Amino acid sequence: MKILNKVKEKLKKIIRAKPVSLKTKKNKSAAIERPALTTGDIPGFQEAIAVNTKFSHPEDMRARTVMPQELPSSYDQDKIILQVRDPRWLHTYWELRNQTIEGLKNKLGDEFYRAKKILRVYDVTNIVFNGFNANSFFDIQYNDFANSWYIDTAGPGRSWCVDLGLMLTDGRFITILRSNVVSTPLDSPSWITDEEWMIPEDIFARLYGMGFGLGKSSPVGRGWQQRLKQGLFSSGVSSSPVRKEAKERSFWMKVDCELIVYGATEPDAKVTVQGQPINLRPDGTFTLRYYLPDSKQVIPVKATSADQLEERTITPIVTRETR
Amino acid sequence: MRHPEHEDFLEEDWLYEAITETYVPLISVFEGLVADGIDFRITMTLSPTLISMLSDSLLQERYLKHINKLVELSQKEMERTRWQESFRRLAEMYFSRFSHARDIFQKYNCNLVNAFKKFQDLGKLEIITCGATHGFFPLMGVCRDSVRAQVKVAANHYESVFGRRPRGIWLPECGFCPGHDEILREAQIRYFFTDSHGLLHGTPRPKYGVFAPVYCKGTGVAAFGRDLESSKQVWSSIEGYPGDYNYREFYRDIGFDLEFDYIKPYIHPDGVRINTGIKYYRITGSGNNKEPYVPEWARDRAADHAGNFMFNRQKQACYLNDLMGKPPIIVSPYDAELFGHWWYEGPMWLDFLFRKVACDQNEIRMITPSEYLEENPRNQVITPSFSSWGYKGYSEMWLQGSNDWIYRHLHAASERMSELARNFPRAEGLLRRALNQALRELLLAQSSDWAFILGTGTHTSYAVRRTKDHLLRFNRIYEDIKSNNINENWLSDIEYKDNLFPNIDYQVHQ
Repeated sequence: MKILNKVKEKLKKIIRAKPVSLKTKKNKSAAIERPALTTGDIPGFQEAIAVNTKFSHPEDMRARTVMPQELPSSYDQDKIILQVRDPRWLHTYWELRNQTIEGLKNKLGDEFYRAKKILRVYDVTNIVFNGFNANSFFDIQYNDFANSWYIDTAGPGRSWCVDLGLMLTDGRFITILRSNVVSTPLDSPSWITDEEWMIPEDIFARLYGMGFGLGKSSPVGRGWQQRLKQGLFSSGVSSSPVRKEAKERSFWMKVDCELIVYGATEPDAKVTVQGQPINLRPDGTFTLRYYLPDSKQVIPVKATSADQLEERTITPIVTRETR
Repeated sequence: MRHPEHEDFLEEDWLYEAITETYVPLISVFEGLVADGIDFRITMTLSPTLISMLSDSLLQERYLKHINKLVELSQKEMERTRWQESFRRLAEMYFSRFSHARDIFQKYNCNLVNAFKKFQDLGKLEIITCGATHGFFPLMGVCRDSVRAQVKVAANHYESVFGRRPRGIWLPECGFCPGHDEILREAQIRYFFTDSHGLLHGTPRPKYGVFAPVYCKGTGVAAFGRDLESSKQVWSSIEGYPGDYNYREFYRDIGFDLEFDYIKPYIHPDGVRINTGIKYYRITGSGNNKEPYVPEWARDRAADHAGNFMFNRQKQACYLNDLMGKPPIIVSPYDAELFGHWWYEGPMWLDFLFRKVACDQNEIRMITPSEYLEENPRNQVITPSFSSWGYKGYSEMWLQGSNDWIYRHLHAASERMSELARNFPRAEGLLRRALNQALRELLLAQSSDWAFILGTGTHTSYAVRRTKDHLLRFNRIYEDIKSNNINENWLSDIEYKDNLFPNIDYQVHQ
């Protein structure tokens, strides 16, 4: 989705529009105070008013259920979730109940405070993980305030599981929570080929390069890296395929001219400007607005009475010259 | 999304621009082709949210108001530019295009879904679906129920609108995770698309690269891979067609260029300048100096570029045919908005392309994925790789420092929704309404657009607000249901605000 530019343009306006929209809400609530309307009957208004009252009528707050404005800081769960960002990186977040932490403190005593807080990352590729049979693992020490972490596995095409735990001073590791298992994708073609669908390496290499729009001779191993350099992702850094030119310098000025020609006559008269008929307002006045290029403009304005017996012509002459 | 409480709102402006600049021009192109007896094929995603917006009578009414104002503005422009011939003819062009947009809009009873349905029924257009609210599936890995809900709500919505099940789906942001094909199969969806590396890095190796679809191992759902060569020709900001100097300059709009008092009635009511759609310049060159747009020159370039695109596809197909020993399929997906909105001449280019392919050659032809699968039922079986068409090809755009905080809340809400669906298998009345609304709020919170805006790092407060609002509403419904204390007044209020998918069934979330 190439919405970045639109978002920039339009959120600007929403953000700036804020004070005014509050004002309109006030107007609405004023209208609602009239006896003819009851608030609850007007769908769509209730929540807006609840927001508004926060600013203007604190006494009304008691009468309504007020929505909290912030999300809960926890969901009272013991939970660790692992998700994949790309072939190399994982993201994990976790939450521990207070009672779980208290339980650990009771069990471990001072040792709890001396222990290191550890994320143990297991490579569980092609196994059913039982806690002891990982292909390998590595530890990450996290700080007291963290509740999420990005993990560099450097391992595309493998499966991973993470334990949140404590490393005691004697070297023992205690698992508090275990995550779900995820798999990182490959960042190059699979080495597994299908016997039924065998294809010679050189032909595959050509198809692979062409698939990435790299022409007919791209080394298979580097295809993805070149693809990355190329960009061409939908919502990539440049959100529009249409280039926006950067201003050469930040300081700038522009000046232009428009001309307003206005007047009045009998409301039922016929008026032409430079020979073209124009419409009058009901009171007989008129206003015309023109872009004024560098030139001399002769602008005959002619009014003819409804009975066609009288005629007036007034001709402003305007010259624009830009230096 | 609609905002009945505001007269003027963000997503509504996007919708109006898209109608005037993209959807109506595309419909006009299709109409012209059908009238001239030109056979063509195109596959388009109409997301459930887009269909809902196009079908919403409030928004239809507002669009009419909007297009009427544009017609009025273009009339004023015809007068204002009287002494400036090169601009006056453009003002006339806009007047006729806006009037035409209004005619087309009214011709289809103010609901353009009717138009798209017509071309689908004629066999020219294949409409596919998307996630219900464009949730990014790979980051719902631990919430399969939510992926299922995104797919089922979308497929059911599609069926209610088009009278048959969707055959294909555009996974939001092209984000595929192995295993989600199972959920697609449950919804009777036969195919989806991946970015090129989704197929190329699949296991085992795909014999034909991205030039033939594969079946997912275990489910038989077909995956088509994106061809980057054809993408590059249209998409690339450096070598792509839309940057041609004769094409219309996107960034010079009278909404920004003209004197304030004059343009004020046509920009944001608070006086913030926005695009009106009237733009008088051509790209001209790489500098800031811009010359007036010349429609005839742009048209010639669009014809040249269509010819060039076709020539390149012919060469590509011939080469691949020799290499593979069978006809390749070349899948070239683009954002619909590229055509008309970003690239003004895009719809015209498509028109030329369809006509040239139908009349000027016989080496290649256009085909929909469904037709291809019917003609070529035998395909390789592999497991495509996790992939997306977002920045760097995976999840990073939606999972980085600025937006990763949302997932603990989204996942918690998803778990809670499953719990509700499990605990209340046959709810009726008010409880049922509350459960359905809970699912609506969850789906709305899952829209990847919020994470995307947060990821871009500019003007994030709107996205934060939207994410929080939907989650807070969800959480309140959850608490109310659990404590058997549903406030009907409040529920009606948010049902009115977040009213999409009127026939939603919370039971799909499990």
